[in-house]
Amino acid sequence: MSEKKIKNIFVNGPISSAFIAESIAKHSTKTAIGGHSIFMGQVRADEIEGKTVSAIEYTTFEDAALEKMHEIREEIFEKYPLNCMHVHHSLGNIKNGEICLFVFTSSAHRKPAIDACTEIVERLKAELPIWGKEIFEDNTHQWKENK
Amino acid sequence: MEIEIISFGKIAEFLQNQELQLEGIVDTEQLREHLENKFPRLSSMKYKLAVNKKLVQVNTLINNNDSVAIMPPFSGG
Repeated sequence: MSEKKIKNIFVNGPISSAFIAESIAKHSTKTAIGGHSIFMGQVRADEIEGKTVSAIEYTTFEDAALEKMHEIREEIFEKYPLNCMHVHHSLGNIKNGEICLFVFTSSAHRKPAIDACTEIVERLKAELPIWGKEIFEDNTHQWKENK
Repeated sequence: MEIEIISFGKIAEFLQNQELQLEGIVDTEQLREHLENKFPRLSSMKYKLAVNKKLVQVNTLINNNDSVAIMPPFSGG
């Protein structure tokens, strides 16, 4: 593992559209970039046996998740010619309609940005120890399973 | 020896974080069996172990004071 600092990807609560806009704006000075790719995950109001999901509560095994994300980050940077990669994942209670995941990659031309963004999302869902508890309107819950 | 058990997600609903005294258990295969006897609800669930924050992919030796995480399937994103 390299000696680069391990970045914290976690934010408490939802990811605001202001934060996302700000994050995009910050790249206007990086003029070697020609393409950005963004993925945003939003909490869906799934209906399960007549009950609607009102929120998802996210928890993590933080140290292990950050170490694994660091590994993924290094591998993605080796595989794709990226200028930038930003990953933010919510913890705590996120209501339906709110953003809980923001992945943002940039490269000189579109293809690496798009492919890296997709691969990060897939790997993050499969490999990071994060759990989502789906909370229904009547305060009962069930544990989310990734498809 | 003594190990620390930490659990997450739906497993944390019935298995509290705790110190566990182990006799005659040397690796994660044996630990799985021991945990499933001690906490029968585990035996019908899918879960992974991590020893000192490292995901267990092959049978791994356990040492005194190790921290073992019990993790249900991940559901981030």
